Amino acid sequence: MARDADFAVPPNAAVAAEALPRRHRRFSLAPYALILPVAAAVVVILGYPIYKLVRISFERYGLFELIQHQGHWIGLDNYRSVLSDQVFWDTVVRTVIFTAANVALTIVLGTLIALLLTKISRWVRILLMTGLVLVWSMPVVVAVQVFYWMTNFENGVLNYLAAELHLVGSNHDWYATPTSSLAMVTLLIVWGALPFVAISVYAALAQVPHELVEAARVDGAGALRVFRDVTFPVLKPILLILTSLSIIWDFGVFAQPYLLIGSSHIDQTNYLMGVYVFIKGYADHDFGRGAAISLLMLVMVAAMSVVYVRQMVRAGNVR
Amino acid sequence: MIGAALLVAVLAVAASTASGATKRSAASITVWLQVDAQSGWPGVVAAANAAFQKQHPGVTVNVQYQNWGTHLGKFDATLAGGNTPDVIEMGNTEMTKYMAAGAFQDLTSAKSSFDNSGSWLEGLAASGRYNGKLYGVPYYAGSRVVTYRTDQYKAAGIKSAPKSLAQFTADAARLSKKYGKQGYSPVYIAGTDWYVAMGFVYDFGGKIATQVSGKWKGTLESPKAIAGLTAYKNFYLAASKASKTTDENRPTPYSVYAEGNAGSIVGPGWFTCCVGDKYKGSTAQFVMPSHEAGKAMPGFLGGSDLAVPIGGNKQLGADWIAAFTSTSSEKALQAAGNIPNSTNLLNTAKVGERAALRSWFVPAAKNWVNVENGNILRTMLSSILTGKLTVKQAAATADNNIEYTLNAS
Repeated sequence: MARDADFAVPPNAAVAAEALPRRHRRFSLAPYALILPVAAAVVVILGYPIYKLVRISFERYGLFELIQHQGHWIGLDNYRSVLSDQVFWDTVVRTVIFTAANVALTIVLGTLIALLLTKISRWVRILLMTGLVLVWSMPVVVAVQVFYWMTNFENGVLNYLAAELHLVGSNHDWYATPTSSLAMVTLLIVWGALPFVAISVYAALAQVPHELVEAARVDGAGALRVFRDVTFPVLKPILLILTSLSIIWDFGVFAQPYLLIGSSHIDQTNYLMGVYVFIKGYADHDFGRGAAISLLMLVMVAAMSVVYVRQMVRAGNVR
Repeated sequence: MIGAALLVAVLAVAASTASGATKRSAASITVWLQVDAQSGWPGVVAAANAAFQKQHPGVTVNVQYQNWGTHLGKFDATLAGGNTPDVIEMGNTEMTKYMAAGAFQDLTSAKSSFDNSGSWLEGLAASGRYNGKLYGVPYYAGSRVVTYRTDQYKAAGIKSAPKSLAQFTADAARLSKKYGKQGYSPVYIAGTDWYVAMGFVYDFGGKIATQVSGKWKGTLESPKAIAGLTAYKNFYLAASKASKTTDENRPTPYSVYAEGNAGSIVGPGWFTCCVGDKYKGSTAQFVMPSHEAGKAMPGFLGGSDLAVPIGGNKQLGADWIAAFTSTSSEKALQAAGNIPNSTNLLNTAKVGERAALRSWFVPAAKNWVNVENGNILRTMLSSILTGKLTVKQAAATADNNIEYTLNAS
């Protein structure tokens, strides 16, 4: 955050730099030499693969080309074919809705849990925190398997409970429709993402000045009013960061939908972007098209992030 | 994003190792087999290695076991990186795409060195041929049969294995009447098990797709295929209480059977492996009956081929394959419950091998695997069974998607 940046350069250093003759500063190569290793590492680790990815997106690069180690330049054909594919646009719309639902649920529920944490006794809080950390530390693949068992058609505990409570006559298929299976994925993702949001927001809540809350109370503000006018402004920067991170994660999510829905049920009615790019690029061996799709995804995520990054910077400046 | 990262990773590996492609010592060969060999017939592998080493003293054989789910991804990475194995086992539905892309070496000249190459099972041999050349040597096959509970059939008053589909349906009703608690399937079939469902299509004379002057055409809308799909729907609704949208991997039919929730299951002959100790003594198999009385329903002929990838040592690879598919090896594979690769070794006294006599196979199109990856047939079956679409509508949608996928460049 901007506040940290202010502390990064001690005031004395700034003054000292100011005092030096300008000529001396201009000829100093030391700072550039110092960042050179980092710059080189970034170029090698990130720059080259991205260059390669961009190049392949302009090539016909299938299994044949993979074996020949030689792509075939086709200009914008990959992009043209992706952008004119109805499945791509359906997937984009589905993913946007899916992301919006997941992020909204994660942030709202996470904030509510954080608020709850401030209201409960120490022991209950420790218990709840431990539970949250356990959820956070569970590997995705394990979590998927547990969710799959719970929602299993024949022996799942969910169907068992529903039958015991006489809610359903026979076993209910939780993966029968795309909406239903994506809802199961949402449940899993939100469950897994809650701890991070709850704990971050709980930490931020410690910064809410007690005097302000009390003053607002004395002036007759109710709980909602206090949250809106006192707590929320303090939380805003951290909520913006959490929201933008969640958007980036949820938009490209792969492991949860692919594993929970299962590779035998992934089809064009339930593709999310992460799964779609995997099927088109890898399973179908169309690496060129896959590269084009992932670059389009990159542009979309970047566009979504810009709004938040800008607001984040602005919020930082105000404070 | 993950996709992008993976893509970058594989291609980076490709770029960095491409230069060292052809360097390899002739003192060893690398063989990729599926784990089935490791768990089912390790002795056959050891015997083949010994026979091979007698022919090539000093050459070590490095057998690496792979999983069906991940072996193609790994193989792709080695194709990109240039460190391909010398021999690879491929599923017969996986062959065409890789042959078309030029991933394997032409073994036509070595054909006579393989035992029984004149009498290979045609269904299996076809999967290893492309443009008249031999790329894949048949390894073994597996047919599909009905595995059933003899005690339940007897108690329900069923005296002999059904001779027709109508008879089987009536038997299912009897089982249902006797054991019909919630969740019990007289014949458990996962709703989207397309291996079973397409058997009905082929039984009624239908096909998945055909090639008309170079172009693939989906043929599930043909009256014969529609009749088959309708028969599948009716049989499924009468006999199976499985989820209409699930597949045969989650749960596996044999685990439903082992839990006592199925009177019979349809699938590969090796399903008897895992029916549970409780039912081991009361389990037997019969051939899935056709709608025409007295005939067998065509079953999917699964199987494996062995190929020498480009970059591998062709001479040593072919010699190892010859040792591994020798008559004595194939007889040992047969003893382990598989179907040997040659008609002269078949023993029709065995249920599974009798079933192999009437079989079907997927269209030999280079993009066929993409139809499987896109789950086109599974989607069709679940929309038929759930009633979301009529048989005709679902078949038409599937035909469109199949044509689009198979004719893509």
